[in-house]
Amino acid sequence: MQYFVNVTLTGLTEGMVYSAFALALVLIWRSTRIVNFAQGSMAAATTFIALALIQAGQSYWVALVVALLSGLVLGAIVERVVIRPVEGGPELNAVIVTLGLFVAIQAAIAIVFGSAFQSFPTPFGLEGFQVGDNRIALTPNSVWVIAAVLVTMALLVVLFRFTRIGLAMRASAFGQEVARLLGVRVGRMLTLGWALAAVVGSLAGLLIAGGEFVYPAYMDSLIVFGFVAAVLGGLDSPIGAIVGGLILGLALSYVSGYVERGSALVNVAALVILMIVLLVRPGGLFASSTARRA
Amino acid sequence: MTAIAAATAASTLAACGGSDDGGGDGGGGGDAGANEASDIGITEDSIKLGAHFPLTGVAAPGYSEIPTGADAYFDCLNEAGGVNGRTIDYIYRDDAYNPTTTSQVVNQLVLEDEVFAIVGGLGTPTHSAVLDFLNSEGVPDLFVSSGSLLWGADPETNPYTFGWQTDYESEGKIIGEYIAENFPDAKVGLFLQDDDFGEDGEAGIRQYIDDQIVAAERYTPGNTNVGPQIAALQAAGADFVVGFNVPSYTALSQLTALQLGYDPQWFYSNVGSDPTLVGNLLNNFSQGQVSDASLLDGALTTDYLPTVDEPDNPWVQEFQRIWDECGGEGELTNYRIYGMAQAYTTVQALQAAGQNPTRDDLVEAIEIAGGDWEGPVLAPFRYSEESHMGTAGMSISRITGDTTEQVEPVQLTDIGDAPIEPYDGEPAEVPENGIPNEESVID
Repeated sequence: MQYFVNVTLTGLTEGMVYSAFALALVLIWRSTRIVNFAQGSMAAATTFIALALIQAGQSYWVALVVALLSGLVLGAIVERVVIRPVEGGPELNAVIVTLGLFVAIQAAIAIVFGSAFQSFPTPFGLEGFQVGDNRIALTPNSVWVIAAVLVTMALLVVLFRFTRIGLAMRASAFGQEVARLLGVRVGRMLTLGWALAAVVGSLAGLLIAGGEFVYPAYMDSLIVFGFVAAVLGGLDSPIGAIVGGLILGLALSYVSGYVERGSALVNVAALVILMIVLLVRPGGLFASSTARRA
Repeated sequence: MTAIAAATAASTLAACGGSDDGGGDGGGGGDAGANEASDIGITEDSIKLGAHFPLTGVAAPGYSEIPTGADAYFDCLNEAGGVNGRTIDYIYRDDAYNPTTTSQVVNQLVLEDEVFAIVGGLGTPTHSAVLDFLNSEGVPDLFVSSGSLLWGADPETNPYTFGWQTDYESEGKIIGEYIAENFPDAKVGLFLQDDDFGEDGEAGIRQYIDDQIVAAERYTPGNTNVGPQIAALQAAGADFVVGFNVPSYTALSQLTALQLGYDPQWFYSNVGSDPTLVGNLLNNFSQGQVSDASLLDGALTTDYLPTVDEPDNPWVQEFQRIWDECGGEGELTNYRIYGMAQAYTTVQALQAAGQNPTRDDLVEAIEIAGGDWEGPVLAPFRYSEESHMGTAGMSISRITGDTTEQVEPVQLTDIGDAPIEPYDGEPAEVPENGIPNEESVID
């Protein structure tokens, strides 16, 4: 029983991490209709900025704020300088550019910060809570991760559903022409979308790094799982991203914990889950409606 | 960077060397007294050696230091006159622990740089990718930095390849016997890397304590969530965990155990146990509740070389001198000692191969003389025509803070059902300048 609880809790925490990353992907998809493969490297870059600050003696929270701000700036710069020139062309162009960016940023991190493994500190403890005689696989740090992801999701829902700026962002993403005719400053909205997505990505990067090891490519495996989680959820829905991440995290943890040599099957299992969901619900679990294509 | 620069300079040299025969022209070992360009990669005044190591990526922490140790050793050797009047030109390239890249860089070393031999190439999956290539090209493939049985157990198939460190199966046997004798009531859990490394270790350990093992959990390198595996060991009631894992997974397993409040007796095999490296990996966490190196306090491990925490050991003192005089930045570490010790064996092989060796002479010399070589390794090598396996034994020690204390002296064994026996030899003396002095066995 304790084993089941621990495998479940491990899965939940891992799942939340996938969710955080999926959330950033959803955000950029909603506001620009581009799948951003560079998200992982961008998050890694801001994480390394935070780590440098922490190693220089700053507190975790100062580093967090600086990382989020540099994410904002990085996102805006990437959109203006790299994405904007290819934005008018076929959608695939922009996606391929993000792939190139993914490699380039990773290389830049290695040049600036080195490619060594380093541990990343957490603001909260890494020892599990005591329940009765047993310690369970839920730590103060996992509570912080879960809370931070849920709050971010709530903020995003509020932004997109209840504010004018959220509406304008969605409009710019769906139909640039129409939005422009209606007086939306589409260019700014796209930049804002990228900047916000990069902030969420930076947060995801920091949450993932906490209590783990970072190196320039540390986000690589998470990029895959983050994408699977986002697509599971429908790529369009913040709540879907959270649910998708949790389902994936739990399922992978059970595979790893209950199947013989499960650790080796985790990646395969992720693909199987994705296939099944897409066969049953091609738009993902939380797709709002398939007809809404601009 | 230096490695690349060295490579460019060196390939020009090789062009001048201009030996285009594939070896075996019988010109080796002549006692005429003059140095000749006796084979590819050898000129009158230089010998070119190549290696592949992970200098970047997942496996880089620790392992990237090995070639810097070897490089320092060869530099000091060159200053003292080299081997038979030839300087060693050591080129190491980054394969990022990616087998595809290994093939690429080894191709480059053999075909472009035209090295005489490959020395100390690191990693089981990586080196497996070039095993056939090196043997079909007839390039001596010395002292692979991995304890897999692949390198030495079958010299008929791979006549040019030699292992160096104690293999994982023999290590498993020595660990198994130690547990059977000292912890007969322990319920043992195994934490294994899901490849040859874990399999060989498991096979060895099960020969002695199969009935004590209550769980065997495997992790896949790259999957950093080992929560389910550690939780399963805990659930199976294991109070003694033996890990055949790499250093980053030592850190991950410790973190996960801390999270779960799981506190068994840990025994990490030699590969995963470097206290300094694991301590550095966990360093930043100390701001939280983990106090770095102390996490490994009390854990058991194995040794086949002296370590930096034995400052009184004459070999460590000599390696410290070499590192201070010829090394680069940073401290002397166990990985650098490993690189230097490997370089030492390499020089023994080159000396034994005579004044003007061919590639085949080098292989023959190791088969004839290698079993008698002494040096920094704690146990003798098993080299012969029938076996290309490396050193045959290990001692067991306990990690206490930043140092280790020996709990069992060196034991000798071999793969299969060879018995385990205590080693009765004395530790070898350090020769002058740390340079071996072997007789040529090639005539």
